[in-house]
Parts: sequence; C-alpha cells; structure tokens
Amino acid sequence: MSHVYTSVGWNRQKKIYDSTLAVGIAVYLGLFVGIGSVVHPNATIETLLIRGFGTCALLMLHIILSIGPLCRLVPRLLPLLYNRRHFGVMMFLMALAHGAFSLIQFHALGELNPLVSVLVSNCRYDSLRNFPFQPLGLVALLILFLMAATSHDFWLANLTAPIWKRLHMLVYVAYGLIVAHVVLGVLQSETNPLLAVTLGVGMVVVLGLHLLAAWRERALDAPSDATSSADGFVDVCAVEEIKLNCAKIVTLGGERVAVFKYDGKVSALSNVCQHQNGPLGEGRIIDGCVTCPWHGYQYLPDSGASPPPFAEKVPTFNVKIVNGRVLVDPKPNAPGTRVEPAKF
Amino acid sequence: MVFAHWVINLAMAYAALGFAFAIAFVFYGVGRIDPAAKGSPLMFRLLIFPGAVALWPLLLNRWWSGHTSPPVEQNAHRKSANSVKEAKS
Repeated sequence: MSHVYTSVGWNRQKKIYDSTLAVGIAVYLGLFVGIGSVVHPNATIETLLIRGFGTCALLMLHIILSIGPLCRLVPRLLPLLYNRRHFGVMMFLMALAHGAFSLIQFHALGELNPLVSVLVSNCRYDSLRNFPFQPLGLVALLILFLMAATSHDFWLANLTAPIWKRLHMLVYVAYGLIVAHVVLGVLQSETNPLLAVTLGVGMVVVLGLHLLAAWRERALDAPSDATSSADGFVDVCAVEEIKLNCAKIVTLGGERVAVFKYDGKVSALSNVCQHQNGPLGEGRIIDGCVTCPWHGYQYLPDSGASPPPFAEKVPTFNVKIVNGRVLVDPKPNAPGTRVEPAKF
Repeated sequence: MVFAHWVINLAMAYAALGFAFAIAFVFYGVGRIDPAAKGSPLMFRLLIFPGAVALWPLLLNRWWSGHTSPPVEQNAHRKSANSVKEAKS
C-alpha cells in the first residue's frame, strides 16, 4: 500500500514465487541448449541461446496471459496472480536477451546502425513467404519494455489504475505481433511441425480461457433486475444469501458494488480496488478489513478507507435491512465516507 | 532507408532527452509529484528510471505544472459521488 515506496515489498510468498520462476527459467534454458546441441550438433551456442531465450519468453507469455482468466474461473489459483508483474518483467528480460543476441548475431557486423539494419535488411512486405518478421519482434519488444518499465506501484499510482491497465492491455498487441513474428519467421524455415502445433495449442488455450472467463463474467455485469423501494434503495438479496465475511456482488450505478456481511452487520462499498482495480467483492474480511484478493490491499468496510497510515479510499453506499432483505442506495457516497452498517 | 534512419534517429533523440530528464526526475522530481516517493531508497529510484526515460513528457508536464500528489482515478461510482458532492455544495 502506498505509505512510502520501496523497491520491492519482499515477503515469503514473493520470494518463493520469484525463486520458482528463476529455477524454472534456468532449467528450461539448460534443457533447451543441452537437448538442442544433441539434436542439432551443427548449431552454434549463439543460435541455441537465441532460440532458447525466444521460446522461453513465448512460453512465459502464454502462461502470463492464461493466469488472469484462470483466476477468474478457479479462485484458488489467485496466488499465481499475486506476483504476475515479476513474471512479466522476467519474460521481458528473456525477450530482451533474445532480441539483443539476434541483433548482435545478424545485424551488428555491417556498417549500418544495427537497428536501422533490422528495418531495412528485408523490405519484402509484399511476400508472405519472405515477410520481414524481425521488425514485428522489435515493436513487440518495445511494448514489453514499456510494460516492464511501468510495472512498479509508483506507475500505478501516478498513471491511475484505469490508464495503467489500458497501457498494459497492449500485451495483447504484443502477443499478436509475437505470434506473427514466429509464424512468419521461424515456422517458414522449420520443417519439424512440433513448434507449429505447440504454438497453435497455446493460442487455442489462451483464447479459450479468455472467452470462457468473459462468458462467466457477463452475468455479473448484467443490469440488476432488483426492485427499488420508494426511497430509491434497491433490494439486492436476502441476508442469508451472503456468506459470513464474504460479499455479494451486484451492479448498481454503472459499476459493481460489493455488499459484505460481517460481525452481525452489512456494509456496501464499490467493488473496484484503488490499487489495480481488483475485485474487492471476491475478497474476504480479514482482521476487520475488506481485503482485495489480488494484492491484499485493505479497506474498512464501513468507511471504504484504508487503515492509517495508508490513504486509499473507495466509495461507500448506504445500506439497510428490511424483513431480512438487504437494500442498497445506488447513489455512491464520496470515497472514504463512513456509513453506519445495517445490523441484523 | 532514409525513412528508417529518420525513425531510429528520432527514437534515439527521444531516449537521450528522456535519459537526461530521468536523472533529474528520479533524484529531485519524483518526491515533488508524489509524497510517497520522498525519502525512498536508491533501488526504487533506479527501478522507475527506465519508465521515466520512456514517459518523460508526461512526468515533465506533471512536475512543471506543480502537481504535488498523484491523480485520483475516475470510474462510474467516483464520478457519481463527486457530482452528488458538488450538487450539495
């Protein structure tokens, strides 16, 4: 949370996450170069490393893109989401190593600026078979750089979460460019169908998970069919429908609202965490605070304010209970406004 | 060929300006536009350095305009809450 920035807020989970990633990358590269040198005895170590870094980054990108929808579908996988930004930065470093080695091996030995050479060494844009695939990889690498460079919470706070998220949605543009880079480049000269089949399976998995998660989410964003009372309060559910220390999520006022039940009380606050717009209603009440399931940001349920010294605030909603039904005023209060919880 | 040179030279000039700006920003400017960055460790400043190189026009604008805290996001609930607050005042 945003009291004072540190470089990395290390904790046990992050250390385990990053160590696992580092070991996984080292094992992958070791196996790739080891097996590659046996299967392709004429390949140089530079070529094997270029391919190893490239395929490693491609594999990591598929995993990263799958984590979001997987966590929507299977909430117990949320720990994978917790440190996904480190995953992304490591993936960028693999892609950077792939690009740097390629630049040195294929473009640094002439008189041209190597980056200019990438753009002009092949200009056959009218040929699918000989399409210049390297500029596609360069543009994708620039996008991945922008994302890695803005991964710290400082950028989330200073760009604001919605703009930061839009910026990081460029990962899908990068993914498209990388797929084209691979399909137009490696696959044209590769006779073994393994890479083509693997890439195809990866694309189907990523696309399928996104479609499935979007289909599941659609129901949540449907306009509420709940009835309004004379004073404008909306009947959202019965008190028993909400599990203790959990929330019922409803869409009111054009955005999702999380209605929490705890300690014999009910409070409602905007579902959108100020940190990274995580779904507060999918979190739990822990130590008396609504805790975002993505990164653990916390808010007091009655005021929507983070406990001191933190400064995050989300809008709150007036709530009342009538005949065992929870009624919520769809007009939000200013972020951090304390609202008396409804008691049952 | 000429166009490719022009694109790369433009990108290099942008990055060089960004590099010079980022040095001043991470040591002097960052604490002025975001109080949570005041007294932050050197490693934090190094981590935001590449982003400052990339997004220097945005940061320069915020620093130059005298913003002393990060902007607050707007979504449907926040906009609605603000409009109610303004109507009351």
